[in-house]
Amino acid sequence: MTSAFRGPDAPDVEEIRKCVHCGICLPTCPTYRVLGEEMDSPRGRIYLMRAAAEGRVELSETFRRHLDLCLGCRACETACPSGVRFGSLLEATRAQLRRHGPPPKHRLLEAFAFSLFPEPARLGAALAAFRLYRASGLRALVRAIGVLRLAPTLAAMDALLDEVPRAGPLPELVPARGRVRGRAGLLTGCVQRQLYPQVNRDTARLLAIAGYEVVIPTGQGCCGALELHAGLVDAYSARARTLAASFPSDLDFVVTNAAGCGSAMKEYGNRLPELAPFAGRVRDVIEVLAGAELPLGRLDLTVTYHDACHLAHGQRVRQEPRELLRRIPGLKLVELGDSDLCCGSAGVYNLLEPGIADELLELKIARIAETGARLVAAANPGCLLQIASGCRQRGLDVTLVHPVELLARAVDAHTS
Amino acid sequence: MPLSRTLLADLERIVGAGGLVRSYEGRLVYESDMHTFYKGAPDVVALPTRTDQVVAIVRLCRAERVPIVPRGSGTGLIGGAMAPQGGVMIGLNRMDKILEIDLPNRCATVQPGLINLFLTQAVANSGYFFAPDPSSQMVSSIGGNVSTNAGGPHCLKYGITTNHVLGLELVTGTGEAVRLGGKVVDRPGYDLTGIAVGSEGTFGIVTAVTVRLLHAPEAVRTILASFVAIEDASEAVSAIIAAGMIPAALEMLDEMMIRAINEGSNAGYPKDAAAVLLIELDGPLAEVMAQSERAAQICWERGALEVRVARDDAERALLWKGRKEAAGAVGRLAPTYLLQDAVVPRSKLPTIMRELIAIGARHRVRIANVFHAGDGNLHPLILYDDRDPEELERAKAANEELLNACIAMGGTVTGEHGVGLDKAKNLPLQYADADLNFMYRLRRAFDPETIMNPGKLLPSHPACGEGFRPARPRVPDGAWI
Amino acid sequence: MSVAGRSVGEAFVAIAGRDGVRDDVPARAAAAVDGLVPRWVVRPASLEQVSQVVALAHEAALAVAPRGSGSALELGCPPARLDVALDLCGLDRVVEYNPADVSITVEAGITVGALAARLAPHRQFLALDPPGASTRTLGGIAATNASGPLRVRYGTMRDLLLGVRFVQADGVLTWGGSKVVKSVSGYDVPKLMIGALGTLGVLGELTLRLHPLPDAERSWLVRLPSAEAAQAFVERVVDSSLQPNRLEYLGEQVLEAVFPGPTSSAVAVSIGSVEEAVVEGGERLAALAKAEGAQILPVPDAFWSDAERALTPSEGEALLQIASLAGRLATTQRAIVEAVRASAPRARVWTSCCAPLGTVRVRLADTDLAVTTAITKRLRDEVAEIGGSVVIARGPSALRAAVDPWGPVEAGAFALMRALRDDLDPKRVLNPGRFVGGL
Repeated sequence: MTSAFRGPDAPDVEEIRKCVHCGICLPTCPTYRVLGEEMDSPRGRIYLMRAAAEGRVELSETFRRHLDLCLGCRACETACPSGVRFGSLLEATRAQLRRHGPPPKHRLLEAFAFSLFPEPARLGAALAAFRLYRASGLRALVRAIGVLRLAPTLAAMDALLDEVPRAGPLPELVPARGRVRGRAGLLTGCVQRQLYPQVNRDTARLLAIAGYEVVIPTGQGCCGALELHAGLVDAYSARARTLAASFPSDLDFVVTNAAGCGSAMKEYGNRLPELAPFAGRVRDVIEVLAGAELPLGRLDLTVTYHDACHLAHGQRVRQEPRELLRRIPGLKLVELGDSDLCCGSAGVYNLLEPGIADELLELKIARIAETGARLVAAANPGCLLQIASGCRQRGLDVTLVHPVELLARAVDAHTS
Repeated sequence: MPLSRTLLADLERIVGAGGLVRSYEGRLVYESDMHTFYKGAPDVVALPTRTDQVVAIVRLCRAERVPIVPRGSGTGLIGGAMAPQGGVMIGLNRMDKILEIDLPNRCATVQPGLINLFLTQAVANSGYFFAPDPSSQMVSSIGGNVSTNAGGPHCLKYGITTNHVLGLELVTGTGEAVRLGGKVVDRPGYDLTGIAVGSEGTFGIVTAVTVRLLHAPEAVRTILASFVAIEDASEAVSAIIAAGMIPAALEMLDEMMIRAINEGSNAGYPKDAAAVLLIELDGPLAEVMAQSERAAQICWERGALEVRVARDDAERALLWKGRKEAAGAVGRLAPTYLLQDAVVPRSKLPTIMRELIAIGARHRVRIANVFHAGDGNLHPLILYDDRDPEELERAKAANEELLNACIAMGGTVTGEHGVGLDKAKNLPLQYADADLNFMYRLRRAFDPETIMNPGKLLPSHPACGEGFRPARPRVPDGAWI
Repeated sequence: MSVAGRSVGEAFVAIAGRDGVRDDVPARAAAAVDGLVPRWVVRPASLEQVSQVVALAHEAALAVAPRGSGSALELGCPPARLDVALDLCGLDRVVEYNPADVSITVEAGITVGALAARLAPHRQFLALDPPGASTRTLGGIAATNASGPLRVRYGTMRDLLLGVRFVQADGVLTWGGSKVVKSVSGYDVPKLMIGALGTLGVLGELTLRLHPLPDAERSWLVRLPSAEAAQAFVERVVDSSLQPNRLEYLGEQVLEAVFPGPTSSAVAVSIGSVEEAVVEGGERLAALAKAEGAQILPVPDAFWSDAERALTPSEGEALLQIASLAGRLATTQRAIVEAVRASAPRARVWTSCCAPLGTVRVRLADTDLAVTTAITKRLRDEVAEIGGSVVIARGPSALRAAVDPWGPVEAGAFALMRALRDDLDPKRVLNPGRFVGGL
């Protein structure tokens, strides 16, 4: 029996064998929660990887299907008592599938997504077109003739974007205010930059208030996370190297406000050892602000917090955002049930697998409704988009914000 | 024997294409429960959502004498939820609803696929909990708990699953959905609920469970006591029980286990101890305070290195988190292990621990221990590397020897994990032919064709157990004309 | 194969000895069940002898009625046949007791009183207090699933019986369960034997879970104006942090007998724990009572046995056991009162209810067969919708011949019970006709 995996970067068999099949990951897995099937659970997927490594299964269409259905949320890593690093196993297996497996189901769609999201300029152009389409009333027409029903993915995208903000440029350097604590680079991200430009502005401002000089390189590009998760390791490696090179090497931190990007960047060293020093400097903005003093004024708000997968599970940052929000005088933080269960966004997953993504969204929104909070904070643009659109469609009057937006408003409240 | 095309078509008619796992890859992942030593993939997996679908599936299979294997979350440790003879596996994971919570009568009715902990979470705000807490409670299903009559750390005080099950809906091997027991206690007739709990799917498929809910205790105190020798810890356990206390839980972990857990959870277990006792007392505050002082005193008297009381709920949760994840954390020690579940009378705990250490040394195997010391329920994990056949043999030999030692002390083969495929062969250590024959006959009343989870729970024997028919007692000579 | 009565008797003698077999008229009459007189009264001295006696009876197709103290012979349908009264009181030894295990193995003929005496020096006890417990045998308590107010805290036989050795209908000596406090090896056979009235096997040896005796125990009576108020109070107690040993609702007549006073309803509570917890528990109980506007009084331990006496039927009276729900305590009480009033206004009725479980004992006096039958049927209708039951636990033979003392059993479950009985005792050697549905 020879392994179905080939080549030097096959999934690490020792890592696979660390799984003792206890199943503690099952209820934390979004696809298991929706489907209730073993092969769409982390334990089942690891078992399939093991079977492939032992030559018991081929990298077949079915094999690929069950791995494709994984959202890559890594909730299973948080749950796993044996410390199996599922994320890296998944990336490696997907890379194997790219090279040796059958073609993906959504090839064209995926290609479209990958040509769009990692390229801020193209995404910007697409969004400009979208604005035009919206303004011209074409949207109503398209909906009316049911085109969207024929193409569920386009429908998903249409639903996601309600109003598309115009992104203004950020300066290349924001000086620190008050006592200087250090220098931080800021990743502006692809989606964040286009869809949530205010989050980047608030991030830069808060970092400056916290005492950091903020460096924002213009040609920074994409972190490559989407490609890594899809098994496109060569494209990912190229992007990672370009990104790392675009930041000066003397920064204290490279700060992100998009959990997915931060999680990928912190792990650059796994595949690209030369990027380990860069990866070691990556921090989520929340981690940096948690250690800083901010002049926070009163905000009488009830807020609930959704754990972005790649912050809670990918980066293990769970308490800091809650503590930060609780620091705001007047702000009442109510816990969200299943707060760390994926909302279904997962990079481009909601475009590729709208069915499962919708069920997860449904669950998430039901939990949000239970809290009674009108504000939901989440530290990842994908989550913000997905949950906001879900609430809108279901008529739940809830506003989605990045925690830095609340912190920035609290700072405003302090100064006014 | 592969399933007939008509059977598959009929199954698909019952549960729909989305409720049927037919692919090779899909079936493969159902070949084992947590005990991956045993493998046997079903020919198909059906995922029903309603009782009437289960009834229809069982009737179909009965007509063609196709084996049926029920499965919950697949966290069993006994090779129970796997299909050594192929056939149809019924995954109950999509029957996971809470059907009713009846707080005035302190009970709830749930579907079998509901995860144990989810029930407690649903009633916690009202001050109630579901007592059975197997270490897998964050994933194991209530149907699975019922099937194996699962225990858990807190069964020392609260009893095991059977003590909390009021009623069942059971689809028997003849495809009848019967209601056994219910919210009201003391039903006239045989206690079929009692005998069905722990029948490991050999009587049928449980499709609904009515369970008792308990009011959460006023106070809980968790004490961690560490010892330089495992014998001292064992003596302390016996002394606590003998002193007339029934702690909610009384758990022991040995050095190797402490290390593995600390690596995983950072649970703050003392690093230099040879054994740790986790003692939990709950109940009215005044009782808990008095008894926890007494328990701590006993630990000091038995030479404890350190006795500390969890300061708050967070620390308490952390101490327990490490304990609950122990079985998983073993992955950090060795890739594979044999797990014992034997029980000895609690007064024999110090003796069996000495014996266990000797057996480990004799067979040159590492044995990690994490177990329910208060009930005398051992869980030695005999570590081996499955790529080393010689080490596996030594592990097996140590395992058998240990089991025999427990039985010789008046113990039992399995305290809470169940029998399954793994321990069926060991039952004759504990039961005579007459006893086994009686059990076969019970099974036959529920499942005349032996299609329900065949090969599990009872040792296989030619002629389906008839071979266990015992000789009748001799009637005195001369009684007959 | 036919067997001459004389030689069967000789065979019993060969098994149990001359002293162990009686066929004289007074001995046989004393062992009659519902007027049916056995041909032999056999008192084996060991489990092996029990096994041989039953094997012989099986060969000869004789009907065997196992008995302990004989206190519960009015439970069940009148027997279909009766040949051998099997007196198990000779099996009264403690087989194995190691106090450190907090469990014990005894022969089935030992009485609760004898067991308690053996356990007391070790400050342990068997937490079962059915009516008349001290003179009843443990085998009898298991076979009839008898329990008392302590079940609130400690459960019933099904929570205490760990292992059982029994003799099957064909005489085969069989063991089920285990001798340790926790076991899931094989089917939970002891559960099946509890409350089965010996129809699946003659109980010979029991391994039981024990409990430490609480350091201190005290009892209180809380007087309340109505059953509704009592139910509300009970709910408060159950929802509080109190952990009572007993929590029993007592109806008017019982109160009159044990604690005469102005109120018609009361809840009796006992708390057992370490001294300080009992004192504190009493204070909390008093606070709860005060909040409900109820009067609370300490009562001596003897209170419980007095109440028990008030509930014990005299010759010719009936005892009903109603299984309802805790949430219907008041409803059930009202139904009892109304059923009695509608059928026989002058009948007397004593009620006591294990409040957190909703199980009620009802003693009926000054009724006749027709009245008791009518009351039973009316109460069965009352609890039918919740799956409850009304069992005639004691009553004259004629009553139990006129009305099924067990009441209906759900058809699906009954089919399984019949299948078990048919397979395990096809000749109906053990207690024929007495169990549910005439099994």
